[in-house]
Amino acid sequence: MAAAKLQAPSRASTSSASSFTPVSRQNTMSSHDGSRSMRASKRYSVTALYLSMSAKEKDLEIEDDLARAQKALRELKARISSQSKKNFVLEKDVRYLDSRIALLIQNRMALEEQNEVASHLDEAAELQEGFFPNDEKTQKYGNLLFLLQSEPRHIAHLCRLVTLAEIDSLLQTVMFTIYGNQYESREEHLLLTMFQSVLTYQFDNTPDYSSLLRANTPVSRMMTTYTRRGPGQSYLKQVLAERINSLIELKDLDLEINPLKVYEKMVSEIEESQGSLPPNMPKGVTAEQAAENEKVQAIIAPRLTMLMEIANSFLSTIIAGLDETPYGIRWICKQIRSLSKRKYPDASDHTVCTLIGGFFFLRFINPAIVTPRSYMLIDGTPADNPKRTLTYIAKMLQNLANKPSYAKEPYMVKLQPFIQQNKERINRFMLDLCEVQDFYESLEMDNYVALSKKDLELSITLNEVYATHELLERHAAELAKDESSHLSVLLHELGSAPAQLPRKENRVINLPLFSKWETPLDDLTAALDITQEEVYFMEAKSTFVVIMRSLPANTPLTRRPLRLDRIAEAAATTRNDSVMVKKGIRSIELLSQLQELGVIDKSDGFALLRDEIEQELVHLGSMKDKVVEESRKLDEVYRTIRDHNSYLINQLETYKSYLHNVRGQSEGKTRKQQKHQVLGPYKFTHQQLEKEGVIQKSNVPENRRANIYFNFTSPLPGTFVISLHYKGRSGRNRGLLELDLKLDDLLEMQKDNQEELDLEYVLFNVSKVLVLLNKRFTRKKGW
Amino acid sequence: MSQREYHIVVLGSVGGVGKSCLTAQFVQNVWIESYDPTIEDSYRKLMEVDGRQVVLEILDTAGTEQFTAMRELYMKSGQGFLLVFSITSMSSLHELAELRDQIIRIKDDPRVPLVLVGNKSDLEEDRAVSRARAFAVSQGWGSPYYETSARRRANVDEVFKDLCRQIIRRDVELSRATDSDPREGRRRRDTQDRNRRRRSNRSREHRCVIL
Ligand SMILES: Nc1nc2c(ncn2[C@@H]2O[C@H](COP(=O)(O)OP(=O)(O)OP(=O)(O)O)[C@@H](O)[C@H]2O)c(=O)[nH]1
Ligand SMILES: Nc1nc2c(ncn2[C@@H]2O[C@H](COP(=O)(O)OP(=O)(O)OP(=O)(O)O)[C@@H](O)[C@H]2O)c(=O)[nH]1
Ligand SMILES: [Mg+2]
Ligand SMILES: [Mg+2]
Repeated sequence: MAAAKLQAPSRASTSSASSFTPVSRQNTMSSHDGSRSMRASKRYSVTALYLSMSAKEKDLEIEDDLARAQKALRELKARISSQSKKNFVLEKDVRYLDSRIALLIQNRMALEEQNEVASHLDEAAELQEGFFPNDEKTQKYGNLLFLLQSEPRHIAHLCRLVTLAEIDSLLQTVMFTIYGNQYESREEHLLLTMFQSVLTYQFDNTPDYSSLLRANTPVSRMMTTYTRRGPGQSYLKQVLAERINSLIELKDLDLEINPLKVYEKMVSEIEESQGSLPPNMPKGVTAEQAAENEKVQAIIAPRLTMLMEIANSFLSTIIAGLDETPYGIRWICKQIRSLSKRKYPDASDHTVCTLIGGFFFLRFINPAIVTPRSYMLIDGTPADNPKRTLTYIAKMLQNLANKPSYAKEPYMVKLQPFIQQNKERINRFMLDLCEVQDFYESLEMDNYVALSKKDLELSITLNEVYATHELLERHAAELAKDESSHLSVLLHELGSAPAQLPRKENRVINLPLFSKWETPLDDLTAALDITQEEVYFMEAKSTFVVIMRSLPANTPLTRRPLRLDRIAEAAATTRNDSVMVKKGIRSIELLSQLQELGVIDKSDGFALLRDEIEQELVHLGSMKDKVVEESRKLDEVYRTIRDHNSYLINQLETYKSYLHNVRGQSEGKTRKQQKHQVLGPYKFTHQQLEKEGVIQKSNVPENRRANIYFNFTSPLPGTFVISLHYKGRSGRNRGLLELDLKLDDLLEMQKDNQEELDLEYVLFNVSKVLVLLNKRFTRKKGW
Repeated sequence: MSQREYHIVVLGSVGGVGKSCLTAQFVQNVWIESYDPTIEDSYRKLMEVDGRQVVLEILDTAGTEQFTAMRELYMKSGQGFLLVFSITSMSSLHELAELRDQIIRIKDDPRVPLVLVGNKSDLEEDRAVSRARAFAVSQGWGSPYYETSARRRANVDEVFKDLCRQIIRRDVELSRATDSDPREGRRRRDTQDRNRRRRSNRSREHRCVIL
C-alpha cells in the first residue's frame, strides 16, 4: 500500500505523453533542432506539476471513468511491483533449497547443516510490519534514503566498488525497493540514470571493445536483475510465450542437425530393429564421416529448412514487438549505442549492433528461449526434442546478432542462409530499438514534484536499510571523500551501521522519505527556465481540465467551443463544494491575469487557452481506452506472477515438511516413541483430480470415470498411500490399486524432472500431487 | 573396437575467458580472434592416451551468467570438467569455487576428474592472478593446475590429456570400489535401494479388473 502511495499523481494523471512513449526516428531527429520541443516538454512537465499539486489536495477527487480506470491501473502496477519483488526473493530461497534438499534426500547432510537449512526455511516466512527503534533513526534513515533515491550517482558509485559477491543483495534492494515502483516514471528514470553512470564508467575503463559488456561484471549483473523487473517479464510473456509454447507441444519433432547425433540415432535404431548393423555402418565414426553419409544428409536437409523457418518466425515476432519492448530496455540499448560511438568514433553500425545484441539478445531474449521455464513462460520442463530446437533457435539468433567470422561447429555453416537473409533486418531492428526519447527533462520535473510532495514513503526492511548502511560505511572513504558533501554529513550523523537482525526480528517498515536540505519550490521557474506567463498558462489549463472532468457530462457547459468564462463562473458558484468553488475563483483570477499579460484575449473566446484545453480533453478521452487495454495486459502479467508465486511457496512448503520429517525421525530415535496417528483417508473423485491437474492423463473410459475415486492416507509422517477405488466393486477398504509414496521419492522425481507418476489407469503429475499432499496433510502451524 | 567414450565439459563462470578458443584449438587447431559468446557447442575428437584410443565428447558451455540454469544438466552428463578462468581477471578465478562445489554435489563425488585452467598465459603483462595463487587453489581442491594460451596453443593438448587420464583412473577405481570397499559403494546402493523400493511399491491386488 505504501507502493500505491508512492505512485506520484503526476504520473497518474498524465501518463499519456510522457517519455515512456517511444517515438519514431523522425521525431527524435526533430527534437535536436528546436527549442520548441524542449519548451513543449517543459510546459508539459509544469502541467504535470500542477496536476500533481492539485491532486495532493485530496478533497478534490476527480471521479470520472478515466480517473477510475487510472486508479485501477495504478493499483495493479503497485501489486505487480511488490509481487515481483517477493518472487525474486522466494526464487533465491527455492534455488538455495533446491541444492540442499538433494543432499538431504541422499541422506548425506550433517545434523548442523540440517539445522542451518531449517533456519533458512524459517526465514522464508512472510515478514511482519514494524518500526525503527526510535523517531530519530526514522528521520535520519529517511534522509539517507531520500538522498540515495534522488541522487543515483551514490549507488552507481557503490555498484562499482562492491564485489560481485556483495552486489546481489545491493541490487535487490536497489531494483526492488529503492526504485521498486517499476511503473513509476521518477523511480524508473532515476534507476536508469544510475545505469548510465555505471555504463559510462564501464566504457571508459574497458580497454578493448570485444570484452565490453561480455564479462560478468556489476553491469551485467545489473542488466540481468533489471530484466527481471515487471516490464521485462511481461514483455517476454507477451512476445515470446505463445511461440515457445506452440513449439513445446511438438514433442516428437526432432530437428537435430548435428550429423554425429543424427548418425548415432539412426544406427541405434537400425540395431534395435534388425539386431545387427550392416557392414557399411560402423559405430563410432568421426564427424566428417557422419556428415558425408547420404542417409544422414537426407535426414538433415528438411530439418535445416524447418529450423530456419522457425527461427525466422521468432525473429519476426521479436521485430514486430518493437513497440512492446520496455522503455528502459530500449533506453539501455540507446546508451550502449551512444557510448560506443563516443568511445570508438569510427565504429561501424555492425560493431555497434554487435554490442547491442550482446545485451538485448544474449542477456535478455536468448536466455528466455533456452530456459523458458525459469522465465515463467511455460509450465513444465520441455521434452528433449523441443528443448534442443529452442537451443538451436537461440544459437541462430545469437549468430545473427553477433555475426562471427568463423563457425565453430562446422555443421552450423548450413544455417548460413538464415544469417544472410536477415542480417540487414536485425541490424535495422537493433538501431530502431535505440530510438527512444531521453527522459532528463521530465526527470528533473519529476524530482521537483517529488520534493513538493509531503508523503514520499518507502516500504523497506530493517535489514535492507542496515545492509545498505553497512555497505556505504565500508566504502565511505571512496564515496564520501568530501566531508561537507551531503552523503558525508548523513553518514556521520548516523554513526556506524547496526548489525543484521536475526530474521525473527526483521521487520518491514514504511519509511517516510524527505530531504534534509530544503529546496524551495519558488526556484522552480528559474531552475526550469520558464516565464511567469507560462506558469500561469499551465496552471490555468490544468485547473480548467480538472473542473471539466468534475462536471456532469451533458451540461450545456461542456458544449464546444468551450466558454471558459462561463465555466469558471459556474465552478465558482457551485453549491456545497468548496473545493470546486476555490478552483472556480482561481480560474477567474488566472483568466484575468493572463489577459492582462496579453497572453489570451477575451474577444476571441480565449482561443489559445481554450484550444489547448479542448485538445487535452480529447486526448484524455482516448486515454481511457488505452488505460483499459494496458490494464488488461498487466492483469495477465499479474496472474502469471502470482501463479509463479504460489508455485514457489508450495515448493518451500514441501521442503519444509520434508525437512521436518527427516529431523523428526532423527529426533524420534532419542525421544520416546510418539504414537502415530493415521491421517486420512481423504477422498477425491476422478473428476476433481482431473480438474486440479493432478491427473495428467487418464486411460479410464469416459463413462466409467464417474465411478472412480481415490483415497489419500498418511499412515506416518512423510508416507502416503494413494488407492484407487471403484464404486460398489470392492466392498472393503482396500482399493483396486495401492501406491505407497514417500515424500523423498516424490522430491527426487521432481528434481530429476520426472513429472509423471504412473498409477496404471491414470498418470498423476508429480508436482500437482505434491501440492495436494501439502494442502491436505499440512500439520498445525508453528513448525 | 573397445573404444571408450568420455564426456568432457568445459566450464567457467565468466564469459570471455577463452573456453571456446581453447576448445577450438584442441579440436580443430584454429585460433579464433573474434569473440563470439557461446550458448552451447559440442564437439567430438579422437585422442590417444597412454596407448589407448578414446573418443572425447566435448561440451563447450556458456560463461554468460544468464545461462546458468543449464549448468546442472551439463554437470550430470559430464565425467570430467575443465574449469577455466583467465589469468588477467581475479574474479574469474574466484567464481570457480562455487562451480566446483556444485559439480561435487551433483556428481556426489569429491574426487571428480577436474582440471583448473588459467588461460591467456600469453598476456603476462596483464596478469592479475599469480601462478602461486591459482596453484594454491588447485591444491586445495586436490586437482592439477595448468596455465594455457589458446592464442599460442600452449599446454592445450596437455590439459585435455590430463583430464582424460583422471577420468580413466576414476573409472577403474569406482568399478573396483563397488566390488570391494563397502563404504565407497554405499551411497550408490542407497539410491538403488530406493529405486527398487519405488518400483516394488505397488501392490496390485486386482490386476485384471477391467474399468
Ligand atoms: N499420518 C500422519 N501423521 C502425521 C503427519 N504429519 C504429522 N503427523 C503426526 O502428527 C503429530 C504431530 O507431529 P509433529 O511432527 O511432532 O508436530 P510438530 O509440529 O513438530 O509438533 P511440536 O514439535 O510439538 O511443535 C505426530 O503424532 C505425527 O506423527 C503426516 O503427514 N501423516
Ligand atoms: N590473448 C589471448 N586472448 C585469448 C585467449 N583465449 C581467448 N582469447 C580471447 O578472448 C576472447 C573470448 O574468447 P572465447 O573463447 O570466445 O571466450 P569464452 O570463455 O568461450 O566466452 P563465452 O563463450 O562467452 O563463455 C576472444 O576475443 C579471444 O580472442 C588467449 O589464450 N590469449
Ligand atoms: Mg516438532
Ligand atoms: Mg565460448
